[in-house]
Amino acid sequence: MEKTFYSIFKTFFKVGTLLLGGGYVILPLLTSELVDKKQWITSDELCEYYALGASLPGIIAANVAIFTGRKLLGTKGAIAATVGMVMPAFLAIVLLASILSEIIEKPSIQHIFWGVGIGVITLLFLAVKEMWTKAVTDKFSVIVYSVCLILALSKKVPLALIIIGALIFGILFQKYEDKRNGFNNSKTEEKV
Amino acid sequence: MKLYFQLFLQFFHVGVFSFGGGYATLPFLYDISEKFHWYSAKQLTDMLAISSITPGPVGVNVATFAGFATSGILGALVATCSIILPSYIIVTIVSKVLDKFKTNRCVKGAVRGIKPAGAALLSAVGIRLIFTSNLHLLGTMLLLALVVLNIVKKRDPLITLGISAVVGLVLGYFNWIGV
Repeated sequence: MEKTFYSIFKTFFKVGTLLLGGGYVILPLLTSELVDKKQWITSDELCEYYALGASLPGIIAANVAIFTGRKLLGTKGAIAATVGMVMPAFLAIVLLASILSEIIEKPSIQHIFWGVGIGVITLLFLAVKEMWTKAVTDKFSVIVYSVCLILALSKKVPLALIIIGALIFGILFQKYEDKRNGFNNSKTEEKV
Repeated sequence: MKLYFQLFLQFFHVGVFSFGGGYATLPFLYDISEKFHWYSAKQLTDMLAISSITPGPVGVNVATFAGFATSGILGALVATCSIILPSYIIVTIVSKVLDKFKTNRCVKGAVRGIKPAGAALLSAVGIRLIFTSNLHLLGTMLLLALVVLNIVKKRDPLITLGISAVVGLVLGYFNWIGV
C-alpha cells in the first residue's frame, strides 16, 4: 500500500482504536498492521522501535508511532502516525467525560468503581512486577530502586529530581564499571 | 490563558520524566492531582479504570480527561498535545543519531539508572493507593485474590477489571462496602 499522509494516519488511527487495556497489546497490533498487512516495515525494525520507544521518556505507543511514521514518510509521516495514534483516545475521553459526570453519582456505578479501583491497583502492581523483572537485575539496580522508593514515599523530593538523580547516578556507575572492566571504546563513543 | 500555560507546563513535564510506559505516567499524574486540584486522586483512579476500556494509551486518556475537567475541550487539547510533545522532540533527535545512540555508554548508563527509578516511583504510587483508598477487609481480600489469580496465570487486564467490577457491584448491592 502506498505511504501517504492519509494512509499512515488511517493505519495508526486503527491501531489507536484497538489499543484497549493499557497498551499491553501494542506490539502484536502493530505487527499485524504494519508488518503483515501493509508490509511497510520488517518485524525486526518494529521490535527495535519498540525497544527504543520503551527506553525513552513519554508514552511508549506515541514513541513507537513517531519512530515508525518518521521512517515511512519523514516529518509528515511522524505527524500522521502520532495524530492517528492519539486521536481515538482523545475522542473517546472527550465524549465520555461529558456524560460521565451525570452517571457517576448513581450508587451502583459507585460500587462498580469501588471494585474497579481495586482491579486497577492489581494491574498497577502487575506493571510494577513487570518493570521490576526488566529493570532490577543486579546490585546496582536494587540500590537505585530502594533509594528512589524511599525518596518517593517521603514526598520531600520532586519526582523529576529523583529521575534526574537516577540518570546521573546510572551514567557515573556505567563509567566506573567500564573503567574497571577496561572498556576502551567508551572515550570515542561518548562524544555524541 | 494562565491556566492553559499551567496545563501545558505540567503535562509537558509528565512527558519528559515518565519512563517505562503505560502506568509510568501515574506517579506524576497523582502528583499533579495533589498540587493543582484539577482532578482528585479518586477521579484519577476512576479514570484509569475507564481508560482500560476506552481506546488508546492510558497516559493520553488521563491527560485528555484532566484537561477536559479543568477547562473543557480546549484544555483537553492543550494537555494531550503537551504530554506528546516531549516524545516528538526526543524521538526526532534520537532517530537522527540512532546508531550512536544505541552504542553510547552514557545512554546505556542513563537507562540503567532510570529503569529501576521508574519502577520505584510506580511502587510508591501503589503503596500509597492501598493506604488511601478505603479497601476495608473485603477490598483487601479482593486485591489479594486478584493478585494471586494474575500470578498463577497472566490474564487479560479486562478480565481482572471485569471481575472486580462485578464483585464491587454485588458487594455494594448488599451494602457491605460503605460506598
